[in-house]
Amino acid sequence: MDSRIILGAIIVLALVLAPAVLSPALVNAGIQMLIASLFACAFSLLCGQAGMLSFGHSAFFGVGAFATVHAMNAVGGAGLLPTPFMPLVGAVTGLLVGLVAGWFATKRTGVYFAMITLAIGELLYSLAPHLGGWFGGEAGVSTMRMPAFGLSFGSNVQVYYLTLAWVLLCLGLLYLFTRTPLGRVALGLRENTRRLRFLGYNVHMASVLVFAVSTMFAGVAGALQAINIESANYVLFNLDLSAEVLLNSYIGGVTFFLGPAIGAALMTFFGYVVSDLTTSWLLYKGLLFVAVMLFVPRGIAGLVQTVAASVRRCGFGALAASFVLHGVAAALLACGTVFSVEMLQRIFSQDYLSLARLGGKAWPAISLFGESWRPLAAATWLVPLVLFAIGLLVLREAMRRWRAAIEAATRGSDEANDPAVASGAST
Amino acid sequence: MDYFVVSLLNGVIYGLLLFMVSAGLTLIFGMMGILNFAHASFYMLGAYFAYALQPYLGFWLSVVVATALVGLVGVVAERYFLRPVHKYGHAHELLLTFGLSFIIAEFVKLFFGNFPVNYRIPASLSFSAFQIGPSTYPFYRLLIGAVALAMFVVIYLLLTRTRVGIIVRAAIHRPAMVEALGHNVPVVFMVVFGVGAALAGLAGAVAGAFYTTNPNMAIELGVMVFVVVVIGGLGSLEGALLASLLIGLITSFSIGVDYSMASLLALVGLGDWAREVGGLLTLKLSSLSGTIPYALMLVILLVRPYGLLGEKE
Amino acid sequence: MNAQSALSLRGVRKSFGSIDIINGVDLDLVPGERHALIGPNGAGKSTLFHLISGQLGLSAGEVFLGNQKISGLPPDRVNHLGLARSFQITNVFPGLSVFENLRLAVMRQHGLQYVFWQSIARRTQVTRETRELLERLRLANRASTLASELSYSEQRSLEIGMALASRPQVVLLDEPMAGMSREETDYAVDLIRDITRGKTLFIVEHDMDVVFGLSDRISVLVYGRIVATGTPDEIRSNPVVKEAYLGEETA
Repeated sequence: MDSRIILGAIIVLALVLAPAVLSPALVNAGIQMLIASLFACAFSLLCGQAGMLSFGHSAFFGVGAFATVHAMNAVGGAGLLPTPFMPLVGAVTGLLVGLVAGWFATKRTGVYFAMITLAIGELLYSLAPHLGGWFGGEAGVSTMRMPAFGLSFGSNVQVYYLTLAWVLLCLGLLYLFTRTPLGRVALGLRENTRRLRFLGYNVHMASVLVFAVSTMFAGVAGALQAINIESANYVLFNLDLSAEVLLNSYIGGVTFFLGPAIGAALMTFFGYVVSDLTTSWLLYKGLLFVAVMLFVPRGIAGLVQTVAASVRRCGFGALAASFVLHGVAAALLACGTVFSVEMLQRIFSQDYLSLARLGGKAWPAISLFGESWRPLAAATWLVPLVLFAIGLLVLREAMRRWRAAIEAATRGSDEANDPAVASGAST
Repeated sequence: MDYFVVSLLNGVIYGLLLFMVSAGLTLIFGMMGILNFAHASFYMLGAYFAYALQPYLGFWLSVVVATALVGLVGVVAERYFLRPVHKYGHAHELLLTFGLSFIIAEFVKLFFGNFPVNYRIPASLSFSAFQIGPSTYPFYRLLIGAVALAMFVVIYLLLTRTRVGIIVRAAIHRPAMVEALGHNVPVVFMVVFGVGAALAGLAGAVAGAFYTTNPNMAIELGVMVFVVVVIGGLGSLEGALLASLLIGLITSFSIGVDYSMASLLALVGLGDWAREVGGLLTLKLSSLSGTIPYALMLVILLVRPYGLLGEKE
Repeated sequence: MNAQSALSLRGVRKSFGSIDIINGVDLDLVPGERHALIGPNGAGKSTLFHLISGQLGLSAGEVFLGNQKISGLPPDRVNHLGLARSFQITNVFPGLSVFENLRLAVMRQHGLQYVFWQSIARRTQVTRETRELLERLRLANRASTLASELSYSEQRSLEIGMALASRPQVVLLDEPMAGMSREETDYAVDLIRDITRGKTLFIVEHDMDVVFGLSDRISVLVYGRIVATGTPDEIRSNPVVKEAYLGEETA
């Protein structure tokens, strides 16, 4: 427990000091990462803790954003509240809209619930462009941050600190929520609603409340975004954003409280860094998500937990070799994937296809990673094939060693617990 | 009158198209308890495969081959993606199908570009069937409807008149029992999944030529298909047909209606006030035509939560 | 309607389509008694429990909890009014610890289900009651184990515990001892006897030793009808009961 508090303190300290050492572009990335983390944790309250899968959570992010923009424009542009308190508008909006939407949605469970949330999101997305007064049509609505308490909020460093403060506060509140009775009931909703009923709980009411808490914090995330980019557009209601928070959360792992935050932070960061280098970032993200769902169902956080438990059991030394091999395998498989995707992306791009048609049978070479590759040459495709083959072999060896280490440790502890062995009796 | 007939035809045909895609979805859900988020992606793949093959195989052969290819994709998806995660529960399966739909869309963008492609009806089929008032009604639209109807009849006969059909229907209700009787239920599941996918692919191959073929078509149709199965009742083929036609007709008829709440209120003299208030009150029904199905779904959920023809769980 | 009975069933019928499962049951439970329900398999015992606890709707008839009509109410209302049940097939919260399982049951009775402004740990009364329950169920050393990882009989104990945690006036136990060893059964019987003191117990069981040793009265359900009600001795010597269980030859 103590080590976790220390780790947490270090991370918070790092987050506080970050703007001093990072470029403005990275500070921007940092703001996006924080907002995505909060959104993911709010989402995970509903999905991971209460077991209610929502495909339309961007709706609440969006209404939080729009409400905040309008609040910022209110009172002749001065704003309904001082800028640092604006996210409250997002919270209230998210809460109220969530209560209404949740009341409908939680009338059903499981896949029905998921589809209802999808439909509510799409409903908003199809309705918003027509309601120009609220949603500003195609162009959206924009605003300007007003100074408050002696701060101008002109630079993004100040916006960063505002975002950081609110995200830390909300994450803290979300954590405390899990310790309250309602937070415990949420877990019961995931585990066995039938038994909850027989224990006297009004499952519908409880579901609506948990839903509304989740959407409230989603609204805060939306508000922070509105403050950050000083605008809101109906595109926020798109399935893309709902998909993004879903992928982020599950890649991170919803069984661990901060898992979704980790997933969101990592994915947002990579998206920022990588989206200049490739147009296929979303494909990579999707492939990662499917891989996680298939092979690492508890996400990155779950993986870390499992690894930590194994290290505690076997000692780091026994597992060191396996770690290295796992890393090598991951690198090889990643390289193979990236190579294939990037080659295919270039081959099938409009420019290249026209070039190929002009050139007839001889398709021109493609330059990638500083080398020149002929798309029709077998050697070109041998590269990813070899990478995949070796990667899989290394992975198999890595897993074999891991399993062997675990078995050895288990045998060791069994022998230690076996009274005959422990007392030194000969076998 | 002309407007009525055209809207009726359009509505029925769009409804039948929805049914082609939702039939597989509702069957798969009824049998395997999986809501396949990627089902509409199969629809999209059908269109894209047919488009890619058309220059080499001509229209009809491309449609057939595309359908078979999508069926194959469905079989692979079930065997290698869905089956391994079955043990983690329904929510996990749903998420996986969501992931599949995501990467299918991204692959389509990778190979074909992030914009609509020029998948067109061949000239031989691009004529008009008959005159309706001042305009003509395209034959191809009727063809879409005919394909959907033929498909429904074939499926219905297969399920009710053949031995395989009986096994499949039994597996929908009592998979464990069917397995105990010696049938290879996993194979049955795989085949049904593949056939469901192929149907969606067929719908895409045929409809994509008429409507637009673009990387978003899965989402656009997909959400509507989900609405259809919720309204019709998950697992009910008849419900899917009824709900599809209902949605098709409502959408089709409301597109041409340029009245709004304000027009209604004008009847009682509140027209000007309503127009001043603006917002929702001045929204024309035609603009809302895409939104009405969602509203209908919400109403059904309040009044009849298991859908029009669904069964209580 | 007898205002003094803890639980009354009046002309209760249940049909599924054309099949009648429950064919007119009239029963009154005396407050504080331990009443067993026995009968051949398929007689409808679990169905009767479903009808009483609100899981299934009645086709005809009424059920009263004391003076309060509970037929037609949803399960959470019925529980709130003072009736709890356990399940024949273990129905707990598998991914939560044993402690959490019981705490959820205890929490409800303190009216805490919607509280989000206070940590549950601050409610020491809830924690204390949960720990007491854990002790009595002999699950104290398994408090932090996940319910899904318990042994079968431990799960059955938890199952009983969750029904009793809600401090009901009337408890329905559906084959609580199924699958338990002799020793576990004996302990469970003592536990049930102890923990249901002053409450009314309605129990379905197949273990005849338990039935005859634990109950004040026994009712016999055959093909959806109660064919006999009486003290253990009366039932033991009742020819109709013998016939129902053993067939006509021994009558």
